[in-house]
Amino acid sequence: MTDPTWPRLKLGSHLLPGLAAVALFAVLAVVVLGGDFGAAEGFPADAGITAGIGYAMFNLSFGDVPSEGFLVAFLTIAIVLDAALDGAVMLAKREGDGDDALTALTDGGRVRDALGGDETAGETNNDDTVDGGDR
Amino acid sequence: MAVPVQWYLLLSAAMFCIGVFGVLTRRNALLFLMSVELMLNAANINLVAFARLWGNLTGQVFSLFTMALAAAEVAVGIGIILVLYRNFSDVDVTRATTMRW
Amino acid sequence: MSAAFTYAPLIVALPFLSFLIALAAGLADRDVLPKGGAIPGILATLGSLALSAWVALTVAGGAVFDETIYEWAVAAGVESQLELSFGLLLDPLSAMMLVIVCLVATLVHVFSLGYMNDEGETGLPRYYAGLGLFTASMLGFVVSDNLLQSFVFFELVGLCSYLLIGFHFREPGPPSAAKKAFLVTRFGDYFFLVGLVGIVATFGTAQFGGAESFPHVAELVLAGEASVRTFGFAPETWFTILGLLVLGGVIGKSAQFPLHTWLPDAMEGPTPVSALIHAATMVAAGVFLVARMYGFYAVSPTALAIVALVGGFTALFAATMGLVKRELKQVLAYSTISQYGYMMLALGTGGYVAATFHLLTHAFFKALLFLGAGSVIIAMHHNENMWDMGGLRKRMPVTYATFLVGSLALAGIVPFAGFWSKDEVLYEALIHGLGTEGSLGTVFLAAYAMGLLAVLFTGFYTFRMVALTFHGEPRTDLAADPESVGWNVKGPLSVLGLLAATTGFLNLAPVKKLTGAKVDFLHQWLEGPEGAALMATLSAKHYKHLLHDVNPAQVTASELGPLLPAALSLGLAITGALVAFRLYATPEPTEHTAKLGGLQDVLYNNYYQDEYQVWLATNVVQPLAGVADTVDQSLVDGVVNGVSSVSLSSGSRIRRIQTGVVSNYAALVTLGLTALLVAFGLYEGWLL
Repeated sequence: MTDPTWPRLKLGSHLLPGLAAVALFAVLAVVVLGGDFGAAEGFPADAGITAGIGYAMFNLSFGDVPSEGFLVAFLTIAIVLDAALDGAVMLAKREGDGDDALTALTDGGRVRDALGGDETAGETNNDDTVDGGDR
Repeated sequence: MAVPVQWYLLLSAAMFCIGVFGVLTRRNALLFLMSVELMLNAANINLVAFARLWGNLTGQVFSLFTMALAAAEVAVGIGIILVLYRNFSDVDVTRATTMRW
Repeated sequence: MSAAFTYAPLIVALPFLSFLIALAAGLADRDVLPKGGAIPGILATLGSLALSAWVALTVAGGAVFDETIYEWAVAAGVESQLELSFGLLLDPLSAMMLVIVCLVATLVHVFSLGYMNDEGETGLPRYYAGLGLFTASMLGFVVSDNLLQSFVFFELVGLCSYLLIGFHFREPGPPSAAKKAFLVTRFGDYFFLVGLVGIVATFGTAQFGGAESFPHVAELVLAGEASVRTFGFAPETWFTILGLLVLGGVIGKSAQFPLHTWLPDAMEGPTPVSALIHAATMVAAGVFLVARMYGFYAVSPTALAIVALVGGFTALFAATMGLVKRELKQVLAYSTISQYGYMMLALGTGGYVAATFHLLTHAFFKALLFLGAGSVIIAMHHNENMWDMGGLRKRMPVTYATFLVGSLALAGIVPFAGFWSKDEVLYEALIHGLGTEGSLGTVFLAAYAMGLLAVLFTGFYTFRMVALTFHGEPRTDLAADPESVGWNVKGPLSVLGLLAATTGFLNLAPVKKLTGAKVDFLHQWLEGPEGAALMATLSAKHYKHLLHDVNPAQVTASELGPLLPAALSLGLAITGALVAFRLYATPEPTEHTAKLGGLQDVLYNNYYQDEYQVWLATNVVQPLAGVADTVDQSLVDGVVNGVSSVSLSSGSRIRRIQTGVVSNYAALVTLGLTALLVAFGLYEGWLL
């Protein structure tokens, strides 16, 4: 019960794959630092950046800073977001009869019947038929 | 005094690799999602940095779209994690290996 | 191009059409056609006969024809291209053969009305479909202008013989006989196929006629004027090998020793089919093939010697077996083998015209004899045992008269057709044997001796058959009161009787030698229209030149008068006939075979030919096949199974890399990306 509830970095068996990420960073750093990008052009001091972004999203060319038009991308993203929400709802819904409200409980989504295997439930409650969790 | 673009890129690379590190070392699916979010935002930093480098707003607009897509990805990802938990009673990604072989 | 040649393809197409009609009628499974499909067959063969006669007249008028009609495969080679095609070659030889085949086929169709329809046989559309296809195949074979086409139709002929011999497939005998005929001839055809491939590979062509034809190229090669690939052999040896391979098919189809065993069994088929097989189609195909590519054989002494020996031996061998047979059709079967032996003998000894002549006359008199036998069989209610007959002479005068004419022709009694042709065969063998120096001459003389001896036996068995069937007193009630036969039996018999009596006059070569009168029409015919370029390589004159000048053994004719050999063979034939008549043409004939002693059993059992072939099959071929099977099962299959089990087991191990753990995949992707970046960096010169 002394386990901390925040995540801790566990090395050991995880060190090796982690080294792959470090190696990737080393290579990227070498690439980036070795590259010559020249001086940044930057934006004019009086340019309306936020307004420019807004215009670019609707293919309007009133902005001070050049940009491409993104109307089609905007609409596509709108549809994708919608589809993703629908998909998420569909995935989250239980298969079978829809009257099972267990998934809506605020216990991290744990099914009460499946609580028997949990270590806290094992200590506090030896009766399998008793509802566990937030009792 | 402008910051050279290399530093932005280095920052982005660092964030990206932190995300990769998380993906490689964690077993919890929720932490996976967070790591992926880190990687996506590393890409956003790149986009914004290059937008400033070229004096063009395209990169900035694009990073907005990336955020929107990240939101969609998280929505689906959470849904998948729910199903994962329902089928395996756990969110440990290494246990969901029924589809191998 | 003459109009006749334009319509010539119809000669083959018409019987094929009748086959299709009969087939459709058979499939319709109703009596949609009157006479079970005989009428289209008769009309088609009549049409083919008319067209053939027209073609023959055109050829007589001095035109010949050799054209490719359909090219079905072209292969471009390095130096030349290989064309596989169907074509028409209409020269005197094929024109003559067309007329023979069409005539006999027509008469057989008509006769079938009496033999099959009137006897209430069932399955007639199938029968007439078979006859139509048989005729069409043979006609296609005859007009072939290349060896490959010949082979195709050769095989079709074999197939049709299988279909027709096994016509009564519900009885035990015919299907087995059909299978035997098919397998034995296929065995020979196997060699033919190998030879055909060899010829195409050597010459790049399989054409029979023209300056590019393979016999002509072979001739040029031997004369040193051209060269071909001979696969490491001397050209003479290689051409002999090729010729002998093709001869394998001929020996199978023409029922020559040792592949003759199928033919007597083939008597299980309906009698008109026997007539067709023996007189005009199947068996004739083999001999015709040798005549067709005679230029190829004429240049090789070894091939000639083997053809002559096989022919002479078969003539004698089959004749002795025919001596003791009890059944009418069996006697005729062995006589057919023997007569085709004569044709081979003639071809082997340089008597191209003599062989063709015998092919012609034999077609008529053997068709006559078979149809006559069919008539007797109808009368005897399908009892074929001659010892149950006797005395049919008075009750079946037409059949008797025509059968007698056929028998006289078969035995070779002057002046019937068989005498002239057989005499010429023997005469050619004798003069070439005497005139040719060296061992080839000796071989010719030996073959001649066998052929001559066979004449005696031929006379004997022929008239034993006649005497037992028609003379004496009826030995059974059936013979005393035979069933009468109709016009459709008597008509063909009369036509063929007339032909068997007279076709000999087409080629009175001895008379020409004695008197100088130009009465050897067939010689003139086969020497071909003067001036036609095609005939330069296909005429009898050219073959004579090949035999004498190109063949290393220099086959030469000696200057011997025709009278003495003719008298000798005629004397032998008459002796045989008279002995047979004395023994059997009595009111109460008895079997005299007991006097033969131990030979009797040997003859009854056909020299144990079937037995030793079965022994070969079971004791040699079967163990060999067993060994091959073992090799196949263990070695070939083992390799295949080994390969598959190796890939199976390696697959089941290698798939373990797919752990299904996302972290592993991600690690692999990360490492891959890193490695890729490093690789690009190195490529762009980090270390340099």
